[in-house]
Amino acid sequence: MTALRIVIALVVIAALAAVPRFGSDVLVQFGINALLLAVLAQGWNIIGGYAGYASFGNSVFYGLGSYGVAIAMVQWELPFAAGLVFGVALAVVFAFLLGLPVLRLKGHYFAIATLALAQVMIAIVSNIELAGQNIGLVLPPLNNDPLFYELALGLLVLTTLTIFWLTRSRFGFGLIAIRENEEGAAVMGVNTTLYKVLAFALSGIFSALAGGIHAYWITFLDPESAFDISLNVKMIIMAVFGGPGTILGPVVGAFTLSAVSEVLSSEVTSVAGLFFGIVVVAAVVLMPRGLADVVRRFRKSGWRYFIENIRANRI
Amino acid sequence: MSPILEISHATRRFAGLIAVNDVSFTLDEGEILGVIGPNGAGKTTLISLISGTLAPSSGDVIFAGQPITGLPAFRRARLGIGRTFQIMRPFPGLSVLDNVAVGALFGHGGGEGDLNRARERARGYLDFVGLGKSVDQRADELGGPGRKRLELAKALAMQPKLLLCDEVMAGLNHVEIDEVIDVLRKVRQQGISILVIEHVIKAIKSLSDRLLVLHHGEKIADGAPDAVLSDKTVVEAYLGKRRA
Repeated sequence: MTALRIVIALVVIAALAAVPRFGSDVLVQFGINALLLAVLAQGWNIIGGYAGYASFGNSVFYGLGSYGVAIAMVQWELPFAAGLVFGVALAVVFAFLLGLPVLRLKGHYFAIATLALAQVMIAIVSNIELAGQNIGLVLPPLNNDPLFYELALGLLVLTTLTIFWLTRSRFGFGLIAIRENEEGAAVMGVNTTLYKVLAFALSGIFSALAGGIHAYWITFLDPESAFDISLNVKMIIMAVFGGPGTILGPVVGAFTLSAVSEVLSSEVTSVAGLFFGIVVVAAVVLMPRGLADVVRRFRKSGWRYFIENIRANRI
Repeated sequence: MSPILEISHATRRFAGLIAVNDVSFTLDEGEILGVIGPNGAGKTTLISLISGTLAPSSGDVIFAGQPITGLPAFRRARLGIGRTFQIMRPFPGLSVLDNVAVGALFGHGGGEGDLNRARERARGYLDFVGLGKSVDQRADELGGPGRKRLELAKALAMQPKLLLCDEVMAGLNHVEIDEVIDVLRKVRQQGISILVIEHVIKAIKSLSDRLLVLHHGEKIADGAPDAVLSDKTVVEAYLGKRRA
């Protein structure tokens, strides 16, 4: 069973890796976006899905990763890899500095506090000369989409493997215990503060790497687009659509919704946003615990599964 | 015997209410101490002061000779203090087995590093409390009595030196109560000291070596169960003055 799963996973990864060889340019570009969104959804999964803290601050990590690469490459003329490292360092420092106070808040309060962080970052970065103030930075162009595609795919594999390890580790169990009942976890010996900050930082590392790759690919960034809060909403929707707190849910959610959004915007263009909204609302009503839960329970309850969900949420 | 736990002049205020007022007592190693008192007497607050979920407004908590008053709950757990909650705090989305495995992974001394071994140990504790058949169920699928047992198994999996039980028998029938008493006696035989809060007087009387009575946050009696239960102030606290 496990051997079969490993084989399936390897085949899927190989198939995805082969896309730039056979696919069109448009498909590769769609792929890069979808893969990076999947990384973001998976990164959010660590703090939101496993530790149960619905973070709206993950777009800050993404922005810091973007600026890390941009500043290193444009201002200091360092290689791309050094930029990634710098971006990750910024994200980790941010996670510890702000995670410590903000992670003391619970539920909605945590969400609101993190929501404010992205706005604050726009204001701060807009006034830093090194970051190009509110005009932004233009990176040296590298016209090599297949490379960015493979980088994004590699990062997604790394992120997913990390989450796989999480589900089998003492650390991951501590996070789940925090999500399920924080006080209960503390009296059983879980260092809740440390674990929450580590989860925040871990989720920040992957988001920053995604931001760094995206910045070099797009070759331009300004504060508004780097710390875009709607990106954070997207990663939450994708993670929740697929199944938060599962290994593959957020990846499946990101791919599915990216495809749906792509098809809609090419078919119905101007009202695509509306249809996308309907898809998301329908998903929340019919399968509030994500695709992963549908797969798990559908065999037992059949179509009644969806009706049960509607009833359970008193709609 | 040396005391494993020493509470000295512990007080806890909630705004205007004094939930625990200048309470001092000791708990010897290997002893079972029962704590009784009417509703709102401060029993659960007392346990929270020991487990670290609440900090005392004043006074000291000394565990195994070491002052732990300022330590957070997780550090106390690692020193060897395990507790159950009256309002049960299971990890609802986890299986019964994994609920207990958390205790084995963390708990006294930092716990087990390996997940498989932790699960193996968890299975042992579930058998011990009589939940061996429910290992694969989700914790929120258990009924009340099952959850009480689960709370106990979770605390035991931490391999504590001191076990604090907050009404583990409430809502159980006579047969189930006898089973839990039996379990707690076996726990004590393993050298674990126990503090039990209970409303079921008959049960706590047969189980405890010593009884402590709280009333309006104050300690009003402390001694051998028979003597305490026939004490005039204790009877008054429970039944009112005229009946006494």
